Amino acid sequence: MIELVDVNACYQDFHVLKNVSLAVKKGQIVVMLGPNGHGKSTVLKSICGLVEKVSGLIRFEGETITGLGSEKLVGMGITYIAENRELFPQMSVLENLKLGAYSRSARAFEKENLEKVFDLFPRLRDRQSQLAATMSGGEARMLAIARGLMSNARFLAIDEPSLGLQPNLRDEVAKIIKQINGQGITLLVVEQNIPQITELADTLYVLEEGSISFEGSKEDARGNDHLKEIFLGM
Amino acid sequence: MVIEITDVIISGLINGSVYALMAVGLTLIYGVSKAFNFAYGSFYSLGGYIAFLLFGLSFINNYFLVFVLAVPILLVFGFFVEKTLVAPLRKRDDWEIKVMMITLGLALFLDNSFQVIFGSRMKSLPPFLEGGFEAGDFYLSHQDVGIFFLSIGGILLFRWFLNNTRTGMSVRAVAQNPAGAQIVGIPKEFVFAATFAISTVMVGMGGILLAQKYFITPMGGWDILVKAWVITAFGGMGSIRGGLYAAFIVGMLEAFVGWYFGMTWTLIVLFAVLLTTLAVRPQGLLGKWG
Repeated sequence: MIELVDVNACYQDFHVLKNVSLAVKKGQIVVMLGPNGHGKSTVLKSICGLVEKVSGLIRFEGETITGLGSEKLVGMGITYIAENRELFPQMSVLENLKLGAYSRSARAFEKENLEKVFDLFPRLRDRQSQLAATMSGGEARMLAIARGLMSNARFLAIDEPSLGLQPNLRDEVAKIIKQINGQGITLLVVEQNIPQITELADTLYVLEEGSISFEGSKEDARGNDHLKEIFLGM
Repeated sequence: MVIEITDVIISGLINGSVYALMAVGLTLIYGVSKAFNFAYGSFYSLGGYIAFLLFGLSFINNYFLVFVLAVPILLVFGFFVEKTLVAPLRKRDDWEIKVMMITLGLALFLDNSFQVIFGSRMKSLPPFLEGGFEAGDFYLSHQDVGIFFLSIGGILLFRWFLNNTRTGMSVRAVAQNPAGAQIVGIPKEFVFAATFAISTVMVGMGGILLAQKYFITPMGGWDILVKAWVITAFGGMGSIRGGLYAAFIVGMLEAFVGWYFGMTWTLIVLFAVLLTTLAVRPQGLLGKWG
C-alpha cells in the first residue's frame, strides 16, 4: 500500500533521512523503532507531505506521491497523527473533529465517522463542547487519534502515541490501535514504549541515524543481539 | 454643554466603529499569518480612491453599486498582493521583517501613485445618506447612523463567517495551530491569501465610509495605519475582542481630547495611553503571551 524507495529528507541543511526504503502492505500494522532524534517522525511526515525537501520515490497504492502536499494526500486517504497532538486549543472537541474531516473526500462521511469515533472513544461524546486546551494529556491524545480517523483515511501514520501518557493508559492505546486496524485501516506506528503495540506488528523496522538498520518479523528481532541491546525488555 | 458632550460621544462611537472594522482586519492578518502589513493605511486610501473613481462613472449614482463593485476589486487586489509579494517571502529566514519591508515599499509606491494619478488635492465623496434626526439643538445625521451600522454589520458578518463557515473555521485553525491545520489538510497558503484579501476589504470599506467625512488624500492612510496599529497593540495582538474594545476606547478618547484640548493633542494622548497600558500589560488588554 505504501512503499518508500531510497527516500532522502532534509530540514534546511540538515540531512535527516538517508536512502530509506520500506513497505507497508494493505491491512498491516508496521511498527518502527529506533533511538530518539534519528528520524522516525521524519519518515512519517515525509509520507504524509509534511516535509518540504523530500526526494526519492514514495508510492501509495502504486501511485507516485513524492512531493505532494498534505492538502492533497489527506484527500487521498493518508493522514498523520502527531506525537505532540497538534490540536486546535481554543476550539471545542466537536470543532476539532469536524476539522479532521476538512478534506472534500471526508466531508461526505462526516456524520458516519463521527459516530464511529464516538463509539471508539465514548468519553469524547460526553465532552463535545469542551475546549481542547482544557483536556488532560490522555484525553487530548484520544482526540488527536479521533481527529485523524475523521479524515476517512485508509492509511494512518501514528507518531509516538505513548508520549505524555500515563502508563496505565498504554494498554488502552494498544487496544485502540488494534481496533482501528480491525476496521481495515493500514497503520505505520512509531512507538517503543508500549510492548503491546510491538506485539501487534506484522513487520518491524529499526531506524538509526536516518537509515533502516533492521527489517523483519518480531521473531527475527528477538533473535537479534544488537536490537536486544538497544531495546531491553523486548 | 450636554448637547456638546452628546455630540462628542456620538462622534467617538462612529469613528470607533469604523476603527474597529479596520483594526479587526489588521489583527486578523497578524493573528493568522504573523505578518505585519505596513501598506494597510494605503489600502484605506485605495478604498476611498476606488469609490471616487466609481462615482466618476456615469452609470453609478448610489453607494449600493459602489459597495457591490468595490468589495470584489479590493478582494482581488488583496489576494494578488499576498500571492505576489508576501507569499514568496514566507519560505525565507526572517521573513517577518522582510514582509514589513516589502509592504512598506508597497505603501510608498501606492501613495505616490495616488499623488500622480489623482493629484495632491483632497478628494471628497458624497454623503451616502442625506438628512438627519433633530430634537431641539440635538442633531444626528443619517449618514453617521448609517456608517455606524455598516461598520458594526461588517464586523458581525465577519464573526459569523469565522464561526459558521468551513473557510472561517479553517482560518481559525491556522491562527491557532498552523502545523495542526496542515496535518488535517487545510491549504495554509490559500488561507493566508484569503485573510489578507478579507482584511484589505475591511480597511478599504473603512476608507470609503470615513472618506465621506474626512476627505481622501494620497498620504491620508498613515494616520489610519498608526491608529489601527495602536488599537491592535492596545487590544492585544491577534485578539479580535480586545481590538473591538480598544477601537471604541480610542474613538472616544480621540473625540474627547479633540474637543477639550484640540485635535493636535489626540495622537499624543493616544500614545500616552498605549505606552501606559503596555507598561502595565505588555500583552495588551486581552492579548495572550506568545
